Amino acid sequence: MLKYALIMLSGTFIASCSQIILKKAAEKEYPSKIAEYMNPMVIGAYIFFFGASLCSVLGYKGVPLSIGPILEATGYIWVAILGKIFLSEKISPRKALGLVIIILGIVIAAFGV
Amino acid sequence: MKKENVKWFIILHIIILIISISGICSKTAAQYDFLSTKWILFYGLVICILGFYAIAWQQVIKHLPLIVAYANKAVTTIWGLIWGFLIFHEQITPLKVVGAAVVIIGVYFVVTGDEDVTGKNQETKEVEKNA
Repeated sequence: MLKYALIMLSGTFIASCSQIILKKAAEKEYPSKIAEYMNPMVIGAYIFFFGASLCSVLGYKGVPLSIGPILEATGYIWVAILGKIFLSEKISPRKALGLVIIILGIVIAAFGV
Repeated sequence: MKKENVKWFIILHIIILIISISGICSKTAAQYDFLSTKWILFYGLVICILGFYAIAWQQVIKHLPLIVAYANKAVTTIWGLIWGFLIFHEQITPLKVVGAAVVIIGVYFVVTGDEDVTGKNQETKEVEKNA
């Protein structure tokens, strides 16, 4: 099951990367409405997102559905870390505490499988 | 809570329920051979639901604060437990329930720890401070 859980967690990481790319793309100025969507960054982000959903399906080969959404909560952690690195977003103490609680919840649930 | 807010809160939870169904489709697709007809059918459903989510979510966050939308989205962990039990005969163990509940609490702290989603940006805070 560990192999499949890692595939699913990789998918969550890829989905988080795509969110950061979308956010980066949203900060830019575009000459037209179409260009807002049809540009390499946005298209790339959606390809990433497609890859992430594929990882999710591959992961579910070994991961129970009851655990899948709990593992996907790691997305909050990746978005916070990537947001800090690439978007200079702050991680407040309350947010950091929340991230630790999420990790704790995932570990508790993993012991329940 | 205003009547309009109640309506959007119900819509939010219907959308969350639909998102949780994409998990059922993913899990079902996983049971078939990669790129077989049924695999493509269920994976296609996953993509359709994600497309629906992208559109519906934008509508919800126009009417409800982001913090409410994101905090409630964590309920998908509970739906995962329910669908896993009902459809795939997975066990609901006490640790899974506690783990899901702890994750929901963690998500609440994460979304409330981000001042941008509380709807109070620096400008409004300055106004409040000076009032």
